[in-house]
Amino acid sequence: MQAIISHYNYWIYILLMMIGLYAMLAKNNLIKKVIGMSIFQTAIIVFYVSISAKEHASIPIIAHGHGHGAVEAAIDVAHYANPLPHVLMLTAIVVSVGTLGVALAICLGIYRRYNSLEEDEIQEQLQ
Amino acid sequence: MIWQLDLSVLTLIVICAFATIMVKDLLSAAIIFGAYSFLMCLLWTEMGAVDVAFTEASVGAGVSTVLFIAAVYQTSRTVKPRKSGRGLAKIFALLATLLTGLVLLIAEADFPGFADLSSPASLHVSPYYITQTLHDTNVPNMVTSVLADYRGYDTMLETVVIFTAGLAVIAILRRYKKDQPFTPPEPYILSKGYPDTIIRFVARQLVPFIQLFALYVVAHGHHSPGGGFQGGVILGASFILLAISYDFKTVLGIMNEKWNVLLGNLGVLIYAGIGFLCLGLGANFLDYSILSKVLPATDRVMARSHGMLGIEIGVAIAVMAIVISIYLNVVSRGKYDKGL
Amino acid sequence: MTAVVILLTLAGLIFFSATTIGILRFPDFYSRMHAAGKGDTLSSLFMLLALVLYNFHEINLGNLLVAMKILLIVVFIFMASPTATHAITDAGYESGVKPWTKKPEEESP
Repeated sequence: MQAIISHYNYWIYILLMMIGLYAMLAKNNLIKKVIGMSIFQTAIIVFYVSISAKEHASIPIIAHGHGHGAVEAAIDVAHYANPLPHVLMLTAIVVSVGTLGVALAICLGIYRRYNSLEEDEIQEQLQ
Repeated sequence: MIWQLDLSVLTLIVICAFATIMVKDLLSAAIIFGAYSFLMCLLWTEMGAVDVAFTEASVGAGVSTVLFIAAVYQTSRTVKPRKSGRGLAKIFALLATLLTGLVLLIAEADFPGFADLSSPASLHVSPYYITQTLHDTNVPNMVTSVLADYRGYDTMLETVVIFTAGLAVIAILRRYKKDQPFTPPEPYILSKGYPDTIIRFVARQLVPFIQLFALYVVAHGHHSPGGGFQGGVILGASFILLAISYDFKTVLGIMNEKWNVLLGNLGVLIYAGIGFLCLGLGANFLDYSILSKVLPATDRVMARSHGMLGIEIGVAIAVMAIVISIYLNVVSRGKYDKGL
Repeated sequence: MTAVVILLTLAGLIFFSATTIGILRFPDFYSRMHAAGKGDTLSSLFMLLALVLYNFHEINLGNLLVAMKILLIVVFIFMASPTATHAITDAGYESGVKPWTKKPEEESP
């Protein structure tokens, strides 16, 4: 049971990555490929955030009283989750909406030109 | 973290991911993907990453879903079955996927256990961030202080990436000449044209509150989850709500294309400008403590806090403008005539 | 206080399960939307009230602020959730989804 708990997150991240990769490789529809790309991105975010978690840890905001310098007690490192992966992933999520916008824009551009989003139909027209 | 919740939410996430890939209707796929993002948001809250969860809730479950729906609306809704003769490619894709999974699984055996206190990622610099942030910057939310101060370069270039993405969408999609008028594709009879009074009224009542909340999120990011990215996305989402419930033209009247690009520029400029101001005052780039020379009645610690607020405002302006710009371009196929 | 919190949470859970069963078991689009819209809104009210009470182990400014914020969430859910349900149902009506009737020839799955 302990082994399952301590590795479950990583297994799921691998599984999500495989789902995303398969969708990007094998799906015929371009929008499905974009969804696969988004799933791939979230898989990596799952991996990073799983690294940052700590047993019995709180959220990375220091509980302090009101007013400046109300709390000067020693801060226990084990009491707060690791904030660094959170920062990296926070920006990664916002960048992912940028890449999603560009990907969908390219899809729409392809649709405007070939009037189809299916990979094989586009390849037929290209030949 | 609560491992029971962790396990069940992760299982639901995998089911949602499978369903998104398998379902034939693209609109359903977009909606299921929204549910997937929302489950991700729950998972991150449960693991203690509240800022990430907040970002995911506003970006993944909110704006991404709307962008997918807009793209599906502009193209075709159903997935056509693949023509024969491509079965081999599918098998190869499956093999490649399984191989990748196998390699990752072998590597996974060496990982530290989940929620291990002594995992290498938690030993190097993160203890410094956790113990010193209140002392250095007087900001209790470590994520904000690492985002905007300790790793300010990183965040500045992320903002530039988002700005570049916005420009790329405009460059790919925007068409100035009026070609054939827009006709919705076959499976849609979305609206017969008359506006729905209930939706319009409620949306009009909600938009000011959403914007006020977004400003609160930006300003209160030092003490609670939130910050420039989340606030900017929520501000953008309020305009998207207006564009959906009202008309495309209404939003264009408030935020036209020129303003969008200008505000995107302005946001990046505020961020870089604060960096150069620090440089001009004789400190390193983005070293806000030197701002105590120009800001009245602040010591070096509070100057770092105020500098962070300044760049968060810049980030919020840039992200808001770019989110609106991407939505307007995708939903009208770059013609700016008619939207959802 | 704890008893009231447990009672409210249980009430919320019951309504949430009723909503879920309704979505799964009702025969057509309109009745499913009806279950989703009403059940969700009410059970969110119960759950959030339970959270407000759970938070009040002592009365000070911070707790009052948190309670105010949760109550504001209730207000916005009560505005937004029925409107969203209305929007979806209206879109379904306009695109011609047939309501379910008891006549055998129009029975839908």
